[in-house]
Amino acid sequence: MKNIFYILIMIVSLTGMSLAMAGEKKQTLPAVAKPFKAPEFALKDENDITYRLSDFRGKVVLINFWATWCPPCRIEMPSIERLWQKVKGKGIVILAINVGESADTVFKFTGQLQLSFPIPMDTKGEVIKKYPAAGLPTTYIVSPAGMVTHRAVGSREWDDPVLMKQLMAMRIPNRNGK
Amino acid sequence: MMLSSVHVKIIVFLLAGFVSGYAGNIYAIDQKTGIDEQAQLPFWEVSTGGMSLRLIQRLPIQSRGYFLARGFNATQAERIARSCIFQTVFKNTSQGGQPGKASTLEYNLNDWRVIYKGKKRKMKTRQDWASEWRAEKVSKPAQIAFEWSLYPTSQQYKPGDYNWGMSVFNLEPGSRFDLEITWMQYGRKNTAIIKNMECAPDINPQPTEAL
Repeated sequence: MKNIFYILIMIVSLTGMSLAMAGEKKQTLPAVAKPFKAPEFALKDENDITYRLSDFRGKVVLINFWATWCPPCRIEMPSIERLWQKVKGKGIVILAINVGESADTVFKFTGQLQLSFPIPMDTKGEVIKKYPAAGLPTTYIVSPAGMVTHRAVGSREWDDPVLMKQLMAMRIPNRNGK
Repeated sequence: MMLSSVHVKIIVFLLAGFVSGYAGNIYAIDQKTGIDEQAQLPFWEVSTGGMSLRLIQRLPIQSRGYFLARGFNATQAERIARSCIFQTVFKNTSQGGQPGKASTLEYNLNDWRVIYKGKKRKMKTRQDWASEWRAEKVSKPAQIAFEWSLYPTSQQYKPGDYNWGMSVFNLEPGSRFDLEITWMQYGRKNTAIIKNMECAPDINPQPTEAL
């Protein structure tokens, strides 16, 4: 009788602890209170390729504002690369916009981490103010219709199955409904 | 198989603990200090079931080097470095709470107060610094780096959101002070006072000698 009682106590305590811990690690991509039209921009990357947001209409666009000196930005970069490898060509585009740094600085950083997704540069810090983000990193999701629908402040594990599923569900279904 | 009243009381107590542990007590405020594992410097932390705020000392020498590398001249870097900077991490942790208890968190640094020698005053925010840098004609890249390095003056965090940045308390190195913080969450204004914080002293740490 006593043993059953103490086992019950342990089960209750451990379940409570594990539920609390699981909750803290959950990845979130919250919806914005009011979706708004994504401000247009045209920014060049280190290779002089221009990225215009309107060129990606019809696709889900993940816009990540970041800088090399920002620790949480650096933390999430590998997960953005893993996400890119999984969603490239599947109706999702990633534009990781560097804020205020030189092409040389960005080049050194991306080389170290072997990042292959597009990195346009907001050298004057003007595009980020249009969105408007208050801190780095901040990530916005633009719907296929060109509306900002979600925002994540701070780093995320972008290839987390929950986030990937959420992003994939935002795409326009193809003719087969998939 | 009959349980005594003592057993019943213990079970009720544990179940209550389980529920509040899982939900996180959204109103109770915990405070702690210690040494941050990554920075190896002292931190002061406040947390509830819905938020956590950690302020970690930054040595003047760290800030001096950081801002020199971003285009500030030696005089300006010195002024920033000796302004009592803390690395700040503020998180909305309410996602870990009871279902339905997730809540948006809002704050404005203009509402926070530095309490030093019995007097209260505001923090020095991005906007305060920006006007100084404009007047001194600091280069645009340096201004951008400074702006985004500082903790956002106001922000709204959904569950899971957080920022990481530098907060400036504008006191001499080694000064001790209290910090009154306020934030909105769960539909109400919350306040806490972090006691006896200390600006990092202006020291130049030497490498530990090998034995």
